[in-house]
Amino acid sequence: MIVTVVAFVICLLIYVFYAVRAPGGPRGGSALGLTFGIAGYALMLYAGLLGARKQVPVWRIGRAQTWMRGHIWLGLLSLPLILFHGGFAFRGPLTAVLMWLFFIVIGSGIVGAAIQHFVPRLMTTGVPMETIYEEIPHVRAQLRAEADQLAATVSGAASEVSTLVDIEQEDRERFHQVYLDKVRPFLENPDAGLTELSDARRTAEVFESLRRLLASPVHPVLDDLQNICEEEHQLSRQVRIYRWLHAWLLVHVPLSIALLVLGGVHAVMALRY
Amino acid sequence: MAGRTRTTKRLAQRIDLDYFKTLRGIPRWRRMLSVAFAAAGLAWLGWHGLRGSPAPYNAGPVARSHALFGNKCAICHVSTAGFEKTVSDRACLACHDGPIHHAEQAFSPACSDCHVEHKGVLRMAATSDRACAQCHADLAAKDKNSPPRFIADISDFDNNHPEFAPLRSGQKDPGTIKFNHQVHLKEGLRSPKGPTTLKCDYCHQSSGSSNRALMSPIDYEKHCALCHSLQFDRRFTEAAPHKEPKVVYEFVSKKLTEYIAAHPDQIHTVDEPDKRLPARPVPPIPRNAQEWIEQRMTDAQLLLWRKACKECHQLSYPNGPDSLPVVAKAAITARWLPHAAFDHEAHQLVACNSCHSRANTSKETSDVLIPGIQVCRQCHRSDANAAEARCFECHTYHDWSKEKRVNAGYTVHSLAE
Amino acid sequence: MSEVQLTIDGMPVTVPEGTTVFDAARMHGIPIPTLCHQQNETPVGVCRVCVVDVNARVYAASCVRQAENKMVVTTNSDKVRKARRTLIELLMADHPSPCARQRQSGDCELETLARLEGIAQPRYPRRLSPRGQDNSSLVIAVDHEACILCDRCIRGCDEIRHNNVLGRRGKGFMAGIAFDYNLPMGNSSCVSCGECMVSCPTGALTNKSVVKTVLPGEPVSVDDLLDLPYFQKVSGTFLDLNKNAVVRRHFKKGEIVCREGEYGSTAFYILEGSADVSLSTPLAHVKSGGGASGFFKKLTSQLVGRKQERREEEGERTSIPIDASVDLPYNNPVATLGPGDLFGEMTCMSLYPRSATVQAATDCVMLEMLRNVLDIIQRNKTLKAQLDANYKKRALDDHLRSVPIFASLTPEFIDLLREKVELVRYNKGDVICNQGDIADSFYLVRLGFVKVLEPHPGGELVLAYLGRGGYFGEIGLLAGGTSGEGRRTATCTALDHVELVRIRGEEFNAMMAQFPEIRRSLETAARERQEQNRQRLTTATSMPLDHFLAQGLMEAQSLLVLDLERCTRCDACVRACADAHDGVTRLIREGLRFENYLVATSCRQCRDPLCMVGCPVGAIRRRNSLEVIIENWCIGCGLCAKNCPYGNINMHPFTVMANDPVSPGRQMAVVKQKATSCDLCTEHAEPSCVYACPHDAAHRVEPNEFFRWLGTPLETEARR
Repeated sequence: MIVTVVAFVICLLIYVFYAVRAPGGPRGGSALGLTFGIAGYALMLYAGLLGARKQVPVWRIGRAQTWMRGHIWLGLLSLPLILFHGGFAFRGPLTAVLMWLFFIVIGSGIVGAAIQHFVPRLMTTGVPMETIYEEIPHVRAQLRAEADQLAATVSGAASEVSTLVDIEQEDRERFHQVYLDKVRPFLENPDAGLTELSDARRTAEVFESLRRLLASPVHPVLDDLQNICEEEHQLSRQVRIYRWLHAWLLVHVPLSIALLVLGGVHAVMALRY
Repeated sequence: MAGRTRTTKRLAQRIDLDYFKTLRGIPRWRRMLSVAFAAAGLAWLGWHGLRGSPAPYNAGPVARSHALFGNKCAICHVSTAGFEKTVSDRACLACHDGPIHHAEQAFSPACSDCHVEHKGVLRMAATSDRACAQCHADLAAKDKNSPPRFIADISDFDNNHPEFAPLRSGQKDPGTIKFNHQVHLKEGLRSPKGPTTLKCDYCHQSSGSSNRALMSPIDYEKHCALCHSLQFDRRFTEAAPHKEPKVVYEFVSKKLTEYIAAHPDQIHTVDEPDKRLPARPVPPIPRNAQEWIEQRMTDAQLLLWRKACKECHQLSYPNGPDSLPVVAKAAITARWLPHAAFDHEAHQLVACNSCHSRANTSKETSDVLIPGIQVCRQCHRSDANAAEARCFECHTYHDWSKEKRVNAGYTVHSLAE
Repeated sequence: MSEVQLTIDGMPVTVPEGTTVFDAARMHGIPIPTLCHQQNETPVGVCRVCVVDVNARVYAASCVRQAENKMVVTTNSDKVRKARRTLIELLMADHPSPCARQRQSGDCELETLARLEGIAQPRYPRRLSPRGQDNSSLVIAVDHEACILCDRCIRGCDEIRHNNVLGRRGKGFMAGIAFDYNLPMGNSSCVSCGECMVSCPTGALTNKSVVKTVLPGEPVSVDDLLDLPYFQKVSGTFLDLNKNAVVRRHFKKGEIVCREGEYGSTAFYILEGSADVSLSTPLAHVKSGGGASGFFKKLTSQLVGRKQERREEEGERTSIPIDASVDLPYNNPVATLGPGDLFGEMTCMSLYPRSATVQAATDCVMLEMLRNVLDIIQRNKTLKAQLDANYKKRALDDHLRSVPIFASLTPEFIDLLREKVELVRYNKGDVICNQGDIADSFYLVRLGFVKVLEPHPGGELVLAYLGRGGYFGEIGLLAGGTSGEGRRTATCTALDHVELVRIRGEEFNAMMAQFPEIRRSLETAARERQEQNRQRLTTATSMPLDHFLAQGLMEAQSLLVLDLERCTRCDACVRACADAHDGVTRLIREGLRFENYLVATSCRQCRDPLCMVGCPVGAIRRRNSLEVIIENWCIGCGLCAKNCPYGNINMHPFTVMANDPVSPGRQMAVVKQKATSCDLCTEHAEPSCVYACPHDAAHRVEPNEFFRWLGTPLETEARR
């Protein structure tokens, strides 16, 4: 980080000195402007290489952490360098596009760094039963199966059930009805908001009323089902927070790729013309 | 929480080992969008490239004067070496001539160093001060003459421009015509047409209607003769011509000769001494026409040389006091600022004596009455709310006296389609 | 022979002198109900159900009372019947009806009698025997609650079979039958002949029907079985009851008898023919890591053959231990078994997966049997002697030499040993030796797993698990020298069905004297072991005991923790691990949390490595430092994955080229499961997952260190 600050100060002084004296004003194509441009692009390329580095994590070419810190600080340094290169002007179509892309990329990067600093804590405290995001559908299927099995111990539906909770037949049917009406639809579509259980705050109430409704031997099963619903809610929360944590990358990464590609074209074409 | 237990093994076994190998959700979109955006960018550039148009690489709108062919990049961006299409001086010189500033300059900047295109719809000729300052801010290094003929450190008008040369170091107006501006600008001057108040533009007018025309030279017939006529004898209303003394002498002589020939009875008269001249002994009565003419000639010469002409001119008698005088050259400065072009037409809105304020109180010919740089700086500053103060407003880089015509040969069709 | 005349139920009968009243009645068609009397046993008259009225002061037990002249016997007067009824009622009061026999076959004699007497519910409160059940035997279930102390089993074992295992113990209500010195039946000298079970009138001793398994194959008749030498002393009734538990199998030449990695529950005994035993899995280990040289190597999901990559210590192995009387040589893992060979013991007894593939080399006839039958014949002394002789003849030297330290034993010495060694067997949970005992033998593990531990106040510290090829007992012997006063330094228990080769102190000392280099190697190894144990001990005692129960974290020696407040859930660690290990990740980002740390599912290098127990081929082991590795001959049975309580070992399919068994010489693509586990990336300076985390969230840490972090606020510098 220190390197970045020092480099920034030096470049700032050089730029101010140059901008004041250049006859045509600061230009990207003058010697100093080109130097700034090349340095800025090199830093952008290095920042972009972080993505490539992540593809070969085992290669011992520097710890991922070092690369990440370099990415952030040197990437930030590229901001003033490119501004110096362009003389704080937007100019033609390609360069204007590049400047916009550049600002959005840097801006999204700063926002993303902040997000990734604060949001993991939210996730950790807010989702105690967190699992792996990509496997959430798979886990949800397993939760459904578990709930079905629990329900089967009461309503005796499945043939491979080994223990049957000891209650009256009509209680069994009542439970079965409740399960099919309220619990199963929620488990199939936790985010659709179809049943009362979809509201996390109301889950406790719903199950309380179920406990009053059904006989006491069923209560352990209800406890477990409530726990399953609680886990479902937490998984939904995890999905939401995960999206916060990663959505900014949808802006940052594609635009930075476009920026690097178009930047390269710009370098070639600007020198041509 | 009766039956459900969370153990590491049970949690871990819920997970498929290969989950990270397929991209889903956000990472998948990330990859797709990366490809899409890059492809879109390249497609945009490629589309223009295929049409042969370098429009995306345009660095900004062109100047007003080039707007006609602003989208025909190839007119200026001519290929110099294969791929490269940087604009060289040759492209500019195809239509414009840019004569050299002067031959001894240390280096000649390229056209585009000072005349920057693609900066928007403005005047190309409006170069920035820094273009000039690259030499003039440190002239000693840049001028091969040593010492340089000009102030060595000029970089802008506001702060770093010397006082105008005529006003520096006590220089004086070299003109030899004695003139007192203050007297002439009084109100109610006596004139043959009654009391008159002279305005500046009675004598000082622009020589033409083109920009930066000089003031017309002062002319005796137009500006002075009405009040200051050259009467030489009471018998004649005609004035002597405002020419060299010899011509005047012959004119007067001729006139007197013709008169006495027409009025021979006046030969033996003696004039009353002219009170305007210094007293002198009464001359004897002329005996003949010849003597009469001689006496009258002497009177006339006295009146002219010693009074009328001397009123304004400086006369000298290199061949003795009784010979014809030699009149010093008027030496009225036609152009006070040889290196800057001042345009009085553009300044019509300003009253003459607002800038030339010293004229109201000037009594001596030697007073230099052009305004100093401070007067100019009151309006011409580098403010937004001030008049143009950049170098080009008064000075030019190119020596237009050496301008050559250029014929690029473009047809209307090729430019205007 | 003189005769006696008496009257029974008004009927005059004449019987030879010495006949009991019961027999006299029986001879004349008068049935008297009995419980403790069995025809082929000496009557004892303990149950008193057979009492009859002989016009004496008290009723007489007809089974023991001899008939006398002029005796008047009434067998079914009201009073006699009432007495009988009361007896039965009293017995039923203490009987767990329906007892096991009643449930199984409906012929519990007591309950039958009760039904005949019309006793539905006894009037007396139920009080069951406090001695409970004994399920230690594989073939017979013991339920003391149903025992009526009739003595029939004792007499059957003593008089009929002459095994003299059963006896009585205890007094009053605590009285009951006992095996040997009141050992559990399975651990006693009981030979599982089944005679006691056949004799028992109630459900106190019942046949354990080993599942509803019907083995495919030709059922063997009881007569055929009894023809075989090792079934000869077995009760025919018992064999009849278990006749589905053993079948005769015929295999054509080339047929596969069993495949490695399959789970099974049977053992095979070869009657005729010979079979080839081999490992058909390619000896390729799951290549772990690319290392510094992996920079340009393309890592693919491949198994790498031994020729391409040799593991360290590979050169030292000479054989691969399997579940048969022979071991497979390492360089060419094929062996042959012939008539009289038994294989599949560990699979049958301890339900481990099959350790090798057996293919019939010629047409074969084999007996396939379940655990109960195997248990019977293993207890048969004849068979045991034969199997032991077999082992000593064929496998002992290989086995001895497979232990690297004994590689230099001469054939002459091994011949000497052959006569002197014993094969001893232990059951699950048996203690082989205790810490502090006098050391008198050296043991080699032939079958099963032995746990070596040091008892501690807080629990026990497991020092090692020894499987086949392992050895123990040398430390005590070496310390004792020739005086034989050395003490055991640790307690060794059997984890499952264990067979040990026991070499006595004298032979051991002779071996040491004759082969000094072996002695030196042993001493070096012993020293290393003791050093390791000492280290483990010091780390164990320095643990804060209040965290002892923390999810078994204290069992670990190295934990992979992810700081959830820095982790952005980007999966870089998982991808790095997979890249370094052939596309199969060895860590899963799931598990239980500790405050803000996630303890990831990745090998914890436990002190007590439960994963190692039971590997049929001994492929999972610990390297010199912490990490657990899986050797290249892993057959993919999945037992280690099942045993690991944290799910840190996972099975994953790999595609490899293997020899086509159908057309030799050709290769075909086979999908092979292999076990995968974290090996701490020892070829690099730090583990790949830690290296690849961009946010410094992944750490491999020792549990003590970890608990220190939990107490203090996060300090990033200190962590590095």
